[in-house]
Amino acid sequence: MNEPLNITRRYFLGRGAGVSLGAMAWSRLARGAVAAPLPPNAAGLPHFAAKAKHVIFLTQSGGPSQLELYDHKPELQKWAGIELPDSVRQGQRVTTMTSNQKQLLMPGRTKFEKCGRSGATIGEWLPHLRGVADDLCFIKSMHSDQINHAPAMTQFLTGHQIPGRPSMGAWVSYGLGSENQNLPEYLVLISKMQRPSDQPLYDHYWGSGFLPSRYQGVKLRNSRDPVLYLHDPDGMPREIRRGMLDGLGELNQMRLAETGDPEIATRIRQYEMAYRMQTSVPELTDLSGEPESTFALYGPDSRRAGSYAANCILARRLIERGVRFVQLFHPDWDHHSRLPSWCVARCRDTDQPSAGLIRDLKQRGLLDQTLVIWGGEFGRSPVGQGKWDTIEAGRDHHPRCFTMWMAGGGVKAGFTYGATDDFSFSVAENPVHVHDLHATALHLMGMDHERLTYRHQGLDFRLTGVEPSRVVKEILA
Amino acid sequence: MILRFLLAGCAVAILWATVNLRLAAAEPVSFNRDVLPILADNCFACHGPDAKQAKGGLRLDLRDSATKPAKSGQIAIVPGKPAASALIKRIETKVAADLMPPADSHKQLTSDQKEMLKRWVSAGGVYEAHWALVPPVKADVSTLPPSRSPIDRFVLARLGREKLKPSPEAAKHTLIRRVSYDLTGLPPTPEEVAAFLADRAPDAFEKVVARFLASKHFGERMAMWWLDAARYSDTDGFQSDETRTNWPWRDWVVAAFNANMKFDQFTREQFAGDLLPNATPEQKLATCFHRNHMTNGEGGRDPEESRVDYVIDRVNTVGTVWLGLTLNCVQCHAHKYDPLPHADFYRLAAFFNSIDEDGKAGKAAKPYLEYQSPLAARAVAEAQALVDERKPLEAEARKAAEEPFAHWLAAKSKVVAGGFTAWHPLRASALESIEGTQLIQEPDGVIQSSGPNPNHEDYRVIGPVKLARVTGLKLEVIPHASHTGGGLSRGKSGEFILTDIKVQVRRTGSSQLRDILVASAVADASAEQKGAREYGDIKGVLDDDPRNGWTTKGLDQKVPRTGVFALAEPLLLEADEELVFEMRHRSTLGDANIGRFRVSLTDQAGATVREVAVAPMEELAAVVRSNQSGGDHFNLNPKLRARLFEQFLADHAPYQTAKAALDRASRQLTEVKAAAQKLNVMVLAERKEPRTTHILQRGVWDKPGDKVERGVPAAISAWPADEAKTRLGLARWLTSRDHPLTARVTVNNLWAMLFGAGLVRTPEDFGLQGERPTYPELLDWLAVEFMESGWDVKHVIELIATSATYRQSSVASPALLARDPDNRLLVRGSRFRLPAWMLRDSALRSGGLLNPALGGPPVKPYQPEGVWEEIFMGRFKYEPSEGAAQHRRSLYAFWRRSIAPTFLFDSAQRRVCEVRTPRTNTPLQALTLLNDATFLESSRALAADALRSAVKPEDRLAEIYRRILSRGPSASEAAVLKREFDRALTHYRAQTADAGKLISGAQVRPDPKANPAEIAAYTVVASLVFNLDEAITHE
Repeated sequence: MNEPLNITRRYFLGRGAGVSLGAMAWSRLARGAVAAPLPPNAAGLPHFAAKAKHVIFLTQSGGPSQLELYDHKPELQKWAGIELPDSVRQGQRVTTMTSNQKQLLMPGRTKFEKCGRSGATIGEWLPHLRGVADDLCFIKSMHSDQINHAPAMTQFLTGHQIPGRPSMGAWVSYGLGSENQNLPEYLVLISKMQRPSDQPLYDHYWGSGFLPSRYQGVKLRNSRDPVLYLHDPDGMPREIRRGMLDGLGELNQMRLAETGDPEIATRIRQYEMAYRMQTSVPELTDLSGEPESTFALYGPDSRRAGSYAANCILARRLIERGVRFVQLFHPDWDHHSRLPSWCVARCRDTDQPSAGLIRDLKQRGLLDQTLVIWGGEFGRSPVGQGKWDTIEAGRDHHPRCFTMWMAGGGVKAGFTYGATDDFSFSVAENPVHVHDLHATALHLMGMDHERLTYRHQGLDFRLTGVEPSRVVKEILA
Repeated sequence: MILRFLLAGCAVAILWATVNLRLAAAEPVSFNRDVLPILADNCFACHGPDAKQAKGGLRLDLRDSATKPAKSGQIAIVPGKPAASALIKRIETKVAADLMPPADSHKQLTSDQKEMLKRWVSAGGVYEAHWALVPPVKADVSTLPPSRSPIDRFVLARLGREKLKPSPEAAKHTLIRRVSYDLTGLPPTPEEVAAFLADRAPDAFEKVVARFLASKHFGERMAMWWLDAARYSDTDGFQSDETRTNWPWRDWVVAAFNANMKFDQFTREQFAGDLLPNATPEQKLATCFHRNHMTNGEGGRDPEESRVDYVIDRVNTVGTVWLGLTLNCVQCHAHKYDPLPHADFYRLAAFFNSIDEDGKAGKAAKPYLEYQSPLAARAVAEAQALVDERKPLEAEARKAAEEPFAHWLAAKSKVVAGGFTAWHPLRASALESIEGTQLIQEPDGVIQSSGPNPNHEDYRVIGPVKLARVTGLKLEVIPHASHTGGGLSRGKSGEFILTDIKVQVRRTGSSQLRDILVASAVADASAEQKGAREYGDIKGVLDDDPRNGWTTKGLDQKVPRTGVFALAEPLLLEADEELVFEMRHRSTLGDANIGRFRVSLTDQAGATVREVAVAPMEELAAVVRSNQSGGDHFNLNPKLRARLFEQFLADHAPYQTAKAALDRASRQLTEVKAAAQKLNVMVLAERKEPRTTHILQRGVWDKPGDKVERGVPAAISAWPADEAKTRLGLARWLTSRDHPLTARVTVNNLWAMLFGAGLVRTPEDFGLQGERPTYPELLDWLAVEFMESGWDVKHVIELIATSATYRQSSVASPALLARDPDNRLLVRGSRFRLPAWMLRDSALRSGGLLNPALGGPPVKPYQPEGVWEEIFMGRFKYEPSEGAAQHRRSLYAFWRRSIAPTFLFDSAQRRVCEVRTPRTNTPLQALTLLNDATFLESSRALAADALRSAVKPEDRLAEIYRRILSRGPSASEAAVLKREFDRALTHYRAQTADAGKLISGAQVRPDPKANPAEIAAYTVVASLVFNLDEAITHE
């Protein structure tokens, strides 16, 4: 199914717009006056009825600690300061940051509470999420294969640890297309932080890999140009740009008539979409029209453009406009030291906005059709890094088990799936591999992960790779 | 109308399909062409070369296995007897459980495919070796239709069979443009076009080809291809993404192509330059090819895991660039489709496994070659010239400031005579705390805390600003009797820790805040800081990190302390805006909130906000007052005068402009000078003790399996008997005369450069799952010719470029487009969008800005502000090159692996080897070409040139057209240009401010004599023409 949609589209434009229509009709067509939305399921997609139409992926980069946030292990108190038993460790590798120290266990540094009717356990650093616990679906048995950030995040988002595969958002927009002719299908929002991050957010995290590049995530930047090159140069008002594009379109139209190359018709369209984006994107990113109640809901940080909180508001606005896949990145969850101050800081950035987003989507009736995913590339070890009994201690990376949550779009609300052992060291029941998560998310979007394939280098690639993976049916509503 | 065209198109397609089938029915079955693709696609995943996976003990890739009883006792293929063959039974059965391919594979055979398999079994089930693994031979061309070159004979013969005629030759201006891009990556100059148009000689085009092949830009064009394949980058990639200095290798590549180094030698030097007898530094330098992979310096990473990754990357790169095989599949298991067992990968890896490397990155990525580039001196001279040019301008500006300074000083002296205060307390309209601390402001602006004393707390002081502007803030931390021990806080120890501050602006009635950037922080006292993530230095309050921040712990608690923060830019507030100063106390231990403090603002530039001291203006006030009796004339001590002059200059725009320009040029000079020293270039060198190599189970670095020795895949070709098993031997094997792949793969890549797509459309995969060549005999002929010419790259390119096939017009009729949309039959010239790097280089040349210098340290073309900073949260800053260095070719653009140059859309990512880059058509590309600074600068420069070139607007517009498109406009095109020009001119005449903004670029100053409205209008037209489909397309 390589690009059948595109061929029809180009064919239509090439033959129809190119040869038959006069320049006036062309110009109406190009400006979108008669542009009918293209059928998104031309290639047999979705494979079956979708539960969710949109995804908001709240990516927490660095590896948030399940032990402080969600995975309550009271038993661990008894083991405080005692070396991790070999029977539990089972030869698990650690990074070279802690491979030379004793593996002494450190109980969770927070108090837990059973929240809502569902009784989900949520740590004290996330007071607002506690309030929406009954809307969340926790998976406590996530596991990954990678122990270092870049490979783990690459696998977490593209299914494979080596860069070059399409990101989940690219697969989804490839499979389903957009409902909005003025915005890209897949948008990326990154929290603005003062602190130089230890884990850069590479653009291959939202890349299209071998898929055509129009499926790649477009990063909305927090700057004068929310999209690179969006603004016309100083001294070029809109009417001059409009006139220039009219002239450009007319000359390109002549070329199309001469050469018959349908790519020219596509190009004319794309210049017009660029022109429309110049209006639609600034309108989208301008939050000044949001009522005071919105900012109250998402918290004080939401008033600051570029913050995670402001990006959560933007995510909701994007979904309202029909964008298929919105991915937020919040960096700096890599807490090798000083968990009690460092981790709290990142919780503070994200707690109220994440909860606010759930509430906001719900009150607007959007939560049912939007799948919200919260999580990072791996979890953290129950072993203390540094002196376990001091405030200096942190935790090392831990891919064997970690917690994620989802909400909305077809998953059970107020539900917890999977469990870890008493140490939160290994999955004790119902393991969910990163690939299973991908398969499940695609399923909710109406796609069979085994059938959503793309032929590249002679192989039919898919997001979930070659090893068997499964839709976690147990969490489906 | 639309419908009719659609139907017409369908009709052609259906007819074509029917013809194909009929032909197929008449012809004998070809295993490679007809059968193998069906088996490979549908069967090999379970019954293919991966012996471990062979279900039921059956392999369909081997005739031996397929014609013997499988575990079930049944025989898949009984030659000549389809009814007895299990293969046929299983694909035709109605029993769902027996059906092949099984339902859960999501694969289904069509009835045509089933029919084909049956015919093949009936005809004896004959197998053939895969075409690409059989050494190429030259077909006899004498029986083919005569034409200009053997290439054309193959094409004509096929077109004849297809009942098609080749397209006519392209127009001359199109032809020279096409070949100029293909061979140099640049459009032809107007002079080159004119000379070619005037040359009536029959070999006029051949001469053009020869001239472009001899151009020094040829090597640059070829290098761009090779750098993508070599995943060349100026940084490591991964987390730290440190800068490396491997660019002398890039220049080696350019020189090698320009000298037409033969491809076998080119291969030998890059694989094993260090192993050649009496190796020159340049030959050692060449081996950097195999060190261009990413390197990972992430903390906590096991270096051995990284080292194994690098070895694997080299094998994959050899697979893609030389073999055209997807060796990466064999890293984890035997190939599912091609005859490559798992061990083959590691036999090849063994050649690269004993490099004297240890998996480290950054500045520790040995082995290195110490190398000084001869091409850096030119860059130093260029940078030095720019500094020399700007230095006097800065000095002049400084001198010119003396006079206004004197006036300013006199005026200020009068103003401050009545006393002067630099700092003004921020009068709060609101005082907030997150956790409930009570804050009360006293009449002198001091704020006292009381009530709850939470562990962590944020204060917010919000208030209107009376000053015309704000340049900085001062925070005084004050002891008080109510604090613990009369110290600075109410916490247990009486000490304070301020972890972060924020300066923001809030508009009344608006819900949004804007962040104000703070440039620096200084304090009169801080605790001695023991590590980067400790408390002490006040700079720690600027980074959103709660693990560092300001404290005076251990010093006398009863002394007030002062911190001063300078804003990055003076802040001007509207009448309805308020300033917000946020103080975060979020330290690890907590319980250290400031107890009593005052926040003050100043409008003074310079020293006032950069140090904790008496402000220069306050000093002046004191001097003036003590000199009251002396009237207007008093003597300032030189030190104070100098401080006041610096303060004046800090605010004096003409001087700041000149100084910033000089500073940028000086930084560039420093950088280039460093690059001109001896550099460490990453190269290959063998370690003394070779490592043993093991198969890695499932490709995992720490799961070694059986030991293997160096060797090559037996399915490709044998190892020469007398060759030592070294990297040098490997290079010789790759370029040996009977190697079936290297020559085919290379000529295919060269073909793709000139036709936009290879004869094999999957240049990275010549295996079973790759596409078959559209012209197999032509590919083989070229491959043999390449080897027979002694691996002469220029010779092959010349052969292709001078062929009639290459010279065809790219115009296609609707019928032809419908029949052969991808031009697989080569019945016309190729029409495709040029790569982004050529577009930028073209703009520079058409605008007359191109700096054609060869080689040297990387440069930084314009890209939007903040692109690096936001990825690395400020760790790397991108400063565009200054002066002539800005207008170098894109080949020399600094390549940061984690964020490639933003203006290069659809380019290789340079993370792993890539020989085929995508070609897409998106609105983001449109925005780039419309608004990228290089294209605007070129448009302005071209506008200025056009203005000088002629008098009549029509002629000037035609000049713009010619410079960009290598041809003049038609009458109808000219009319559109004129209309848009007039429209723009009317606007810019009325709105001169717009004109001024549009024409003042970063580097090109408008001609003061020219009319700004006219330049602006021509600039708009030039930008329009740069964006035409024709301007960005290989026609």
